Amino acid sequence: MKGSLATSGLLHALVLTWAMVSLGSPADFQVADVEALPVDIVPYSEMTQVQQGDKKAPKKETSSPVPTKRPETNQPAENVGDNDTDLKTPPTPNAKPSKSEATASPEKNDKPEPTPDPVEQEIKKVEETKPASEPATEVAALPEAKQEVKPETKPEPAPAEEKPAENPEAEALPEKVPTPAAKPKVEKPAQSAKTPDRKNEQTPKEQKKQASTEESKFNADEIAALLNRQDPSAGGAKRSTQEAALGGKKTIGVGLSANEIDGVKGQIQGNWSLIAGLTGVEEVRVTVRVQLDPSGNIVGTPEVTATGGPEGTRRAVESSTLRAIRRSAPLQNLPPEKYDGEKGWNTLVLNFDPSEFAL
Amino acid sequence: MEQVGLAAATNDVSLWSLFMQAGLVVKLVMLGLIAASVWTWAIVVDKTLNYGRVRRQLDGFEQVFWSGQSLEELYRTLSDRQTAGMGAIFVSAMREWKKSFERGARSPIGLQMRIDRAMDVTLARESESLEARLGSLATIGSAAPFIGLFGTVVGIMTSFQAIAGSKSTNLAVVAPGIAEALLATAIGLLAAIPAVIAYNKFSADAGKLSARMEAFADEFSAILSRQIDEKLQNPRQAAQ
Repeated sequence: MKGSLATSGLLHALVLTWAMVSLGSPADFQVADVEALPVDIVPYSEMTQVQQGDKKAPKKETSSPVPTKRPETNQPAENVGDNDTDLKTPPTPNAKPSKSEATASPEKNDKPEPTPDPVEQEIKKVEETKPASEPATEVAALPEAKQEVKPETKPEPAPAEEKPAENPEAEALPEKVPTPAAKPKVEKPAQSAKTPDRKNEQTPKEQKKQASTEESKFNADEIAALLNRQDPSAGGAKRSTQEAALGGKKTIGVGLSANEIDGVKGQIQGNWSLIAGLTGVEEVRVTVRVQLDPSGNIVGTPEVTATGGPEGTRRAVESSTLRAIRRSAPLQNLPPEKYDGEKGWNTLVLNFDPSEFAL
Repeated sequence: MEQVGLAAATNDVSLWSLFMQAGLVVKLVMLGLIAASVWTWAIVVDKTLNYGRVRRQLDGFEQVFWSGQSLEELYRTLSDRQTAGMGAIFVSAMREWKKSFERGARSPIGLQMRIDRAMDVTLARESESLEARLGSLATIGSAAPFIGLFGTVVGIMTSFQAIAGSKSTNLAVVAPGIAEALLATAIGLLAAIPAVIAYNKFSADAGKLSARMEAFADEFSAILSRQIDEKLQNPRQAAQ
């Protein structure tokens, strides 16, 4: 037995020694050097709900547009800017405020007031002088204008000088030529008749280039703002005083905040009067579904559903809730930009616990 | 806990370091299991040699016994030296036979019974020596996994305490402790598996050898019984 014990011990010693050597240092895991892939978890609402703000500003807890310089106006406005009227063009820093009313139609031709952009006028002139290579018929159509122009334009004044000279004519003209469309035609044939070569020599190429650069800025989405001749660089009329933070151009798909909902509930609760002595009021929960118009008035009959509690109490709570809602219309302090959309307050769903305030 | 922290720092998971990092209980368990394994293999070596020897002896004795050699002669050669197995049975039976006839026993039934008893005793002693230590193989085979498991449980408990202490669930903190704990189970299985296999094999072998010896004892008993009858008749015939 001793011999076999010694044999066994020796065997174990051998095996353990072998294990120490061969299993002593297991091979390291060779993990390929993979670059970490950054993963952002983006909630669905981040894509569908946009708060008004500045697209280039850093992200903050609450979105807010670029601050405007002019004080708050009472006018409801959607687009941020220093304008008095709500334009859709974004505000640019060197803007001057415009006092005129926003109008989409380009009716400036009626007014003889000097146009702010002489270059554009020149472009128009050049464009029309080109087809007018045989201006004889057009000129003949309005001989009066031609006669008047001739003596003035003969000394060949610079284009800049021509305009002030023509404007008084324009004032004088309306009696004879009532249609505004005809007026520029009168002027231009007159000029082209006199100096067709020079016009074409002087600036046709340059002006074409200018025209092409002007055209490239064209954006069909903002056509109304482009047609509007009043100062577009001032943006809209909505005022902002906060620091700019990341957000969209408009507020889209954002529902009322908890504070705003609380405000509405407070308005309704203020008009609430519940009959005293009802049993089991604390078990009743009321859900109200109201359709609202943009001014906060109730459209149709609000759906009031009470659950829990005794039958009689439930009915009493429902009717008192309906009365409270009707009494508190129109609802105040609802942000107009959050009216539209699936989550907007065009349909408002409110939950009440009558025991909190009605007892 | 410090040991686990050390392991996390060095990241050394060799067998020796795993053993050295283990707690006292786990260390004791591992040492005990290694001792059990040593013991198991000692028994395996011993039994293998022993059974081989016994088998050879049985073969040799049967050859001599059935060779037609005189029983008296055989007894004379065997009684001088230490014998085992069938030889021992044969010697014990012959000794009883001799004693009875030297004193002039007259009862053949009593003589037969005494010889059988003597052979039974020797047979029991022989099979006992064949089966000796097989019990400890069985014990190791059944208990070693549990002992290893105990070491593992204690080790993992310690390891979890270390996690709680270091306030980190980093794999580098957890892994060495668990590897060390699992080492205890591994050693337990390493001891238990050969023990179970060896136990089954050796108990079967011992059963075979015992059966062979028993068969010989029965056969020899029959031979002696015949001899007794003959011897009891012969004196009478001689006397007549």
